[in-house]
Amino acid sequence: MDWNAFNLSLQLAAWTLALLLPIGVVTGRWLAKTQTRARPWLQAFFALPLVLPPTVVGYYLLIFTGTRSPLGELIMSWFGVSLVFSFPGLVVASILVNLPFAILPVQRAFEVVSSELYDAAACCGMTPWQTFTRVEMPLAWPGVLSAAVLTLGHTLGEFGVVLMVGGNIPGETRTLSIAIFDRVQAFDPLAAGQMAGFLLLISLVTVALGYGVLERRERRRRRST
Amino acid sequence: MRNWRTCIAVLFFWSTVPFYAVPAFANGPLIAAAASIRPALEELSARYNQVTGQSVRLVFGSSGTLANQIANGAPYALFLSANTAYVQWLVDLGFTQGVPVTYASGVLALYSRPGLLVQTENPLLALGYALEGGTIKRLVIANPEYAPYGSAARAALEHAGTWAQAKQVLLVGANAGQAVQYALEGDVDVAFVPMPLARLAELQKTGHLQALPSEAFPNVELDQQMVLLRGADQKTREFFAYLQSIDSREIFSRHGLGAPQVN
Amino acid sequence: MLSIRIENNTPALKVDFGLPMGTLSAIVGPSGSGKTSVLRAVAGLLAPSHSLISFDNDVWADTETRYFRPAYQRPLGFVTQSFGLFPHLTATENVSAALNHLPRRERGVEAQRFLELVGIGGLADRQPSELSGGQSQRVAMARALARKPRLLLLDEPFSALDHSTRKRLRVELKRLQDALAMTVLFVTHDLDEAAELSQNMVLLRRGQVVQQGPTRELLRRPSTVEAARLMNFANLAKAEWVGSDASGITLRWGDVLLNAEIGPKSPPEGQIYWTIRTSDVFLVKDDHPNESSLGTILSADITEIIEMGSSVLVSVIVARSGGESLRLRLRPGALHRHNVSKGSRIRIALHAQSLVLLQS
Repeated sequence: MDWNAFNLSLQLAAWTLALLLPIGVVTGRWLAKTQTRARPWLQAFFALPLVLPPTVVGYYLLIFTGTRSPLGELIMSWFGVSLVFSFPGLVVASILVNLPFAILPVQRAFEVVSSELYDAAACCGMTPWQTFTRVEMPLAWPGVLSAAVLTLGHTLGEFGVVLMVGGNIPGETRTLSIAIFDRVQAFDPLAAGQMAGFLLLISLVTVALGYGVLERRERRRRRST
Repeated sequence: MRNWRTCIAVLFFWSTVPFYAVPAFANGPLIAAAASIRPALEELSARYNQVTGQSVRLVFGSSGTLANQIANGAPYALFLSANTAYVQWLVDLGFTQGVPVTYASGVLALYSRPGLLVQTENPLLALGYALEGGTIKRLVIANPEYAPYGSAARAALEHAGTWAQAKQVLLVGANAGQAVQYALEGDVDVAFVPMPLARLAELQKTGHLQALPSEAFPNVELDQQMVLLRGADQKTREFFAYLQSIDSREIFSRHGLGAPQVN
Repeated sequence: MLSIRIENNTPALKVDFGLPMGTLSAIVGPSGSGKTSVLRAVAGLLAPSHSLISFDNDVWADTETRYFRPAYQRPLGFVTQSFGLFPHLTATENVSAALNHLPRRERGVEAQRFLELVGIGGLADRQPSELSGGQSQRVAMARALARKPRLLLLDEPFSALDHSTRKRLRVELKRLQDALAMTVLFVTHDLDEAAELSQNMVLLRRGQVVQQGPTRELLRRPSTVEAARLMNFANLAKAEWVGSDASGITLRWGDVLLNAEIGPKSPPEGQIYWTIRTSDVFLVKDDHPNESSLGTILSADITEIIEMGSSVLVSVIVARSGGESLRLRLRPGALHRHNVSKGSRIRIALHAQSLVLLQS
């Protein structure tokens, strides 16, 4: 069992969640409320990672942010960090690939908050921030939780884009899913199977917990109607 | 109602846990090596650790993929390819330091299921007969586009005039290692594999394994070359030197690789 | 005064009127007339391209100076058509949501007070999903009032409720307005509701004001044909100007001469119309003692009698009017007393005070 790889997987999931969740909430909420005619295009754009193979995303990231690209050189000179074959690069890639998981459930959740409630809140004297914390979030948080659980589960298992963008660097980009692949290539099916089973268990428990919370809330809501 | 705040709090707590978890990994130089020499290199690096107390980190893949990664900025310090072409490519692009060194000579082996091929001195001929006779359902090689053993395999088939027929039953592995894997677990009749890996997977127990002479694949060389890369430091140079020592020669040859041909 | 001046493209609006403080006013019009948009503009939920809205000399919106005070900073309460109760909060919590200016501890007590004020003190812990239409409306009302607003805005507040609840709540609204001395502005498509409740009325159609003023005035004297149509005046006929003197205006209707007490001194431009409320047309018995005091007496033939519960609608064709018809509204008793039926010839009286001249 490669604990180092597991630690990397956890860190990747944690960083992705921490950075992507606010992005997802802001974007999802905006998409739910905006009237712009470009909305279907924007929705399609954010849903792209669902349709594209992760290796394609990884490929383009490599091309556009690799050390040979102008963007990559810029980032290297500004921050001294490379976005390919490094952990920060994995985080960036992971954020991109998980965008649809973070945005879509949130968008659906905020769509349920009718415009009448916004009007009522404003006429109760609530500032926009108060409206957000006391009316919108209490009604939309299941969507946010859904987004978090999906992102988490998806990142733990992410393989294609991690391999493309990160390579297989132990201690840096060899996440658990990559380590499993590595063990298979080394003709070590036992270790591979062990780690795969572990990953399966962790993912299952995480997602089940998340849905358990949602289920409880749904049941409570249904009982009161 | 209040739930969402606890929800967010739990999520943030969870997400900070890994930051004070498991401490960092040993940070030796990164060595990128062809998948075909995995068993040899793993033993070598263990030996190196024993002898000098230093450790290195190993990353395996097909030579072409690794060369591409290097060109895209992968932080490897040393590259061990399964041929010379990729090394030369990197030299031309300016990603290397110093002169490339041939550390071994690759051996391409033909694996076949028992009784499938006639036992001859020219296994490729027997393969040709079998292909024509339609008894071969699946033939595995590594990807000829970027795995040296794969391009050697294709060259061998082309030279024997059986490439067209082989293509119809062809199964391609992403690298030499994967080709061996298919041979091991898939329902495969014939496979072109690197000898070291084939020995490691003990393919000789499940079928017939025969080394092919380098004349079988003209115009393709399997001179395993290695070269220091731009990020190489003193530790890397020391390992690089070790790979050229008698110790290493012995380990390489024990794993089925030939001695480096000096031209 | 609540001064409202709005010009906008979508939705199309062009209004300019003012309402006195402390009164209950209604904006009336058919659906699509823009009344909800006007209300939302006053509330600060809509920012028209051009507007000037001020309440008691406090400017809330002025596109000239690019000033727009957001809704949550205006001292108003708003009850929307479907009440907009926060589904995740109880009745008390809904009302407390408007009490941010109070310390947390006092909010619950104050909320309870307002719930009792609107008559549902016992429903404090219910969720909106557990409340009936009328109860929800009251919670929404309590929430709107909790801020002690100076202006209360209501958007079709009773349209989602059943008839008896509606009647009850109308009375309570009147009571509340009296007790709390607020300015109330409500929007409705129901003319009867507006007639019953409001002191001032604004008639709106296709985003423009048709007529505005004290309700009683409007109901008795529409100024234009459009206003008369909006207020469901059944009688509408063309006439020609004959002359005017000290006693009033004389009109020619077909071959008949009519008198109207109130009207312009000189002939107005365009076609003249006149109208009279159906309840102001009287049936005259043949042996009436003081006929001349009733106004112009005309003969007519009954073409239709429709009994509608507490009143009877009678359509007649007036002789020598050129085949034009009029409608009268009678009490059922009056109909039977006169013992008439379809086809009978009767006499009707049109009093000069009741006749209203309209411009087109």
